[in-house]
Amino acid sequence: MAASRYCPSCLSAVSRSIPQTRINPIQTPSFLLPFHQIRTAVQSANAAKYKRKGKDAPASQRKKKSRTSYYTADLKNALQFSLIDAMRYLKAAEVGRPPTSAKYELHIKLKTPKNGAVVRNRLRLPHPVKTDLRICVICPSDSKQAQAAREAGAALVGEEEVFDQVKEGKIEFDRCICHQDSLPKLAKSDVARILGPRGLMPSAKTGTVVKDVAGSVKDMVGASEYRERAGVVRLGIGQLGFTPEEMHKNIRTAIDSIKKDIAGVADRTPKDIHEVVLSSTNGPGFSLSGEIRGPNSPPSKDLAVKDELVA
Amino acid sequence: MRKLQTKLLAIRLGPGAVVLPKEVKRIHLRFAPKINGGHMGSRKFWRHELVRLKYHNPAVSMTVDRDIEQTDPATMSVHFAPENADQTSGSATASSAPSQQTERVETINMKNYTNSEILDALVQLTKAYPVEPTPEEQEELAKLEEQRRKSEKDSKLSQEVRARVKREKELLEQARGDVASQAA
Repeated sequence: MAASRYCPSCLSAVSRSIPQTRINPIQTPSFLLPFHQIRTAVQSANAAKYKRKGKDAPASQRKKKSRTSYYTADLKNALQFSLIDAMRYLKAAEVGRPPTSAKYELHIKLKTPKNGAVVRNRLRLPHPVKTDLRICVICPSDSKQAQAAREAGAALVGEEEVFDQVKEGKIEFDRCICHQDSLPKLAKSDVARILGPRGLMPSAKTGTVVKDVAGSVKDMVGASEYRERAGVVRLGIGQLGFTPEEMHKNIRTAIDSIKKDIAGVADRTPKDIHEVVLSSTNGPGFSLSGEIRGPNSPPSKDLAVKDELVA
Repeated sequence: MRKLQTKLLAIRLGPGAVVLPKEVKRIHLRFAPKINGGHMGSRKFWRHELVRLKYHNPAVSMTVDRDIEQTDPATMSVHFAPENADQTSGSATASSAPSQQTERVETINMKNYTNSEILDALVQLTKAYPVEPTPEEQEELAKLEEQRRKSEKDSKLSQEVRARVKREKELLEQARGDVASQAA
């Protein structure tokens, strides 16, 4: 008998056991397990950042206290460069630019309170950056001072004629000096509205109202002016063709002069030089370490190469 | 610092990071101010490769003259030191810039060539050898790349959060507006 070969009780036992194995919850398909693990691993370490922690705190308590001094970054981990290294990068960044347009710039970050006196002065660098400064002198055009000022290199000398030009919008000068006796006329002429926003308005505070006009014109030709804005003093410091030695002298002079100014206002507002950054017109900024050359710097005469067009 | 490091590595490494032999004294590029007429490659060469070239060869004077007509040829002239004047090759032609008789000048035509082709021509002409990144630099590059990828991911995440917050705010605003209009 064919049926006798299959024990009915055995069959039923097998058939009963099959559904049991299927239902068994412990035997989850193994390929699903790693998926769960990966999904937990995907959670970024930054996820904690997106949990808004301060949500329950009232807005008044969350408000940041405003600072009374300008922010100064911690320079402990900052990259700092020797002068030659910075110049090498900047010369590369400025390659092929017209040599008259690209310049080195110096930015001096001060540790200073937001209110109070600001550093502001004029200095003569040992190697002037710009020699084609156009200076306007306000004094009677037929006087002796006018003659002397013209000889010293002033581009524009006069009183009414200068005011008229300025009112027409023709401002063809970069600096403006006024003789002491002409100051009332200047004040009456109503050009302050035009000159003021450009920083050209003569005033005793900036040292541009003087008696000896010719002398200050001489000082100004080849001098550069600087002032502190938002805790930073910025000034042009050199042409791209300067050698590291020339740059070093210029930077030293600028920093010494600023230090002197800082000492001058120290009793009112305490200040301190925090960081010195060398940059250029189109290049990145480099925080200077104070050394002239680093371990891998090229010889300084390599950087003295002038990239000027030879026709 | 990351931005600065990326910039500095881009000045140090990449196409154009080659050291020229000592006898190369000056490189002069001449091309038009606009790119039409095949002047694109030369401008790109100036903006990308020449920067690295200058970094690795600070003693070589490199100048760019863009004061020519659009129809004029774009050329690069490479000036070699006088002592090698005797071994001029046949391809040498007089450059646009007047030079001393002892100075050897070779010109490369840059018109209608891309920046990489121009670089290849220069390397071939001067037999310059490339600068390989040091292990530290490679490590730094890898680190910056890793940070870049991570920041991309994080910015996406952040964007989602901001979009959600904005949506919630809008909904709230809308609901408030509805209430106000009903009250009125």
